[in-house]
Amino acid sequence: MDTIQPAGQATEPAGQATEPAGPAIQPAGPAIETHDLHKAFGAINAVDGIDLSFPAGRIYGLLGPNGSGKTTLIRLMAGLAVATSGTVTVLGTRMPSRPLLARIGYMTQSDGLYSELSVWENLSFFAAMSGQCDATALAEILDVVELGDRRGTPILELSGGMRRRLSLACALVHRPAVVFLDEPTVGVDPVLRYQLWDHFRRLATAGTTLVVSSHVMDEGDRCDELVLIRSGRVLATGNGAEIRQQAGTRDLESAFLKLSGVPTWGDAQ
Amino acid sequence: MSTRRIAAIARRIAQQFRRDRRSLALLIVAPIAVLALLGFVIRDQKPIETRLGIVSLGGPVDASIQAALSAAAAQAGVPVVDVGTGLAAGRAAVQDGRADVVIVLPASLAGGSATIQLITLGESPADDGARLQVVAGLVEGAGSQGPRLTIEHQTIYGSPTADVLDTFAPALIGFFGFFFVFVLTGISFLRERTGGTLERLLATPVRRSEIVVGYSVGFGFFATVQVALILLFALGSLSVPAIGPLGGFEVGLGIANAGSPLLAFVVIFLTAIGAVNLAIFLSTFARTELQILEFIPVVIVPQALLGGVFWSVNSLPDPLQAVARVLPMTHAIDGLRAVLLRGAGLSDPTLQLDIAYLAGVAILFVVLAGATIRREIA
Repeated sequence: MDTIQPAGQATEPAGQATEPAGPAIQPAGPAIETHDLHKAFGAINAVDGIDLSFPAGRIYGLLGPNGSGKTTLIRLMAGLAVATSGTVTVLGTRMPSRPLLARIGYMTQSDGLYSELSVWENLSFFAAMSGQCDATALAEILDVVELGDRRGTPILELSGGMRRRLSLACALVHRPAVVFLDEPTVGVDPVLRYQLWDHFRRLATAGTTLVVSSHVMDEGDRCDELVLIRSGRVLATGNGAEIRQQAGTRDLESAFLKLSGVPTWGDAQ
Repeated sequence: MSTRRIAAIARRIAQQFRRDRRSLALLIVAPIAVLALLGFVIRDQKPIETRLGIVSLGGPVDASIQAALSAAAAQAGVPVVDVGTGLAAGRAAVQDGRADVVIVLPASLAGGSATIQLITLGESPADDGARLQVVAGLVEGAGSQGPRLTIEHQTIYGSPTADVLDTFAPALIGFFGFFFVFVLTGISFLRERTGGTLERLLATPVRRSEIVVGYSVGFGFFATVQVALILLFALGSLSVPAIGPLGGFEVGLGIANAGSPLLAFVVIFLTAIGAVNLAIFLSTFARTELQILEFIPVVIVPQALLGGVFWSVNSLPDPLQAVARVLPMTHAIDGLRAVLLRGAGLSDPTLQLDIAYLAGVAILFVVLAGATIRREIA
């Protein structure tokens, strides 16, 4: 395992004691599986033949530049888009499946919050939509994202980072078994970013499957497995060390560029 | 002042318009289209038909005048219909719509002059006024040789002194019930679509029907409050007594209302539900809040022109009448006038038709709105 554990545990996230409840019994097969997945928008193949198999309880990183097909792939896996061809299976169920959405958490790239409403009102709305009625679950997740003292604050008055955190809380409030996070750490400061990844790790340890997309390559080492995507195709899979080794580079960014066939300055090193 | 910067700003606006062709088209097409529609309505307006009934109460003026009136009517091309005999028969004829104006000739001559009653429906003062003018002309012509004739106007509904506001109010109540809810829902749902909340909502196990019905209930509630207050203000009349230096004043328009405010409310509520769901449906075709406002000349203005707010549907040119009868606003206004002015109840066939039509439109728009909310948006 190549997961980096930063030194200095001074900033332990609040709510450490409240371990997320383990997801319901996992099916024997992988949590997420795609088979020859294609999605075309007109002449553009946003997802162009992707085969993946994600066993449960791990963190998967989708890495790739803007427009590489990460969001489309996530939307296909979350059942928000219909594949042109190929299949997606989540927790043993063919997607799209409306009932299964109760066990899926999805954090969109945009914050997707109602700006006139308060933190608590937003959270309880999305909780109600996902069937989560337990107020303690809401309070717990708010503590995890450190917004416990901001319950009554309208979204308009929150900073960008706070909105991102609330958006994450809304995706996790119903304790889903599979979580899709589309660029969750954009605009989040380094301290909180560390805390969020720490929380993701704890969710995975408890059995949750997480799929995190990012175009920030240095987040790749926090994932158990990476999928490098470009132009809707998989360039490479494996953990950070494996991918660096495969490319013969020191860091993931150079590895990505090299695997994409872009001549880089890092090659000379 | 830098001309380069000014030119850059002007050029940027032109570029934005080029990308937003719809706004550009609307800027030019909408005023012309609305003016054309207005011209069509006004120029080709049908002269109001006046079907005259003459009822005699059997007085001494009767024989000579009745003959003179009939002759004058025939000369002026005003059809005279048989409405039977007696005052009750005359009123019934107006009420049933067999006659538009009934002349009641008096039983006695008092002091060398006779008072002639003219009975109209009283639903539309504008229409009544035009008809009375025609009939008064006939009476004047017919009475030139006989005793001096005085005209007294009576109405079946409302009062002969009703002003334009009395018939305008039901129309405006229906209009507002549609307009504000339409614009607010449109903008709200557009923000839902563009702000990422709809995407997030659809990532939960919510059903499309739950979203549509939830929206209808939520906006329906506020439409309800709005309309209840408008009705209260329009129909009510509250005298506020003088307090200290402040003089007393009246709150509310005190418009005469014949029917059940609750029934009026049902009509408006159905209209509002239709408006909510039409707005959800049309929000699919807008990318910005400006484009929602651009639906006003397309969706709202024709309904205001043709729906009976300003001109009665019967006076519209035939092709526009056909269009008007399809518009929900026409039925909302017709239903509200039926309830408030005529005091129509649920047994009234025209009101039944209006309510059924509005309910049908609401259901149609609910289905259309639901169809535009798809898990697959992209």
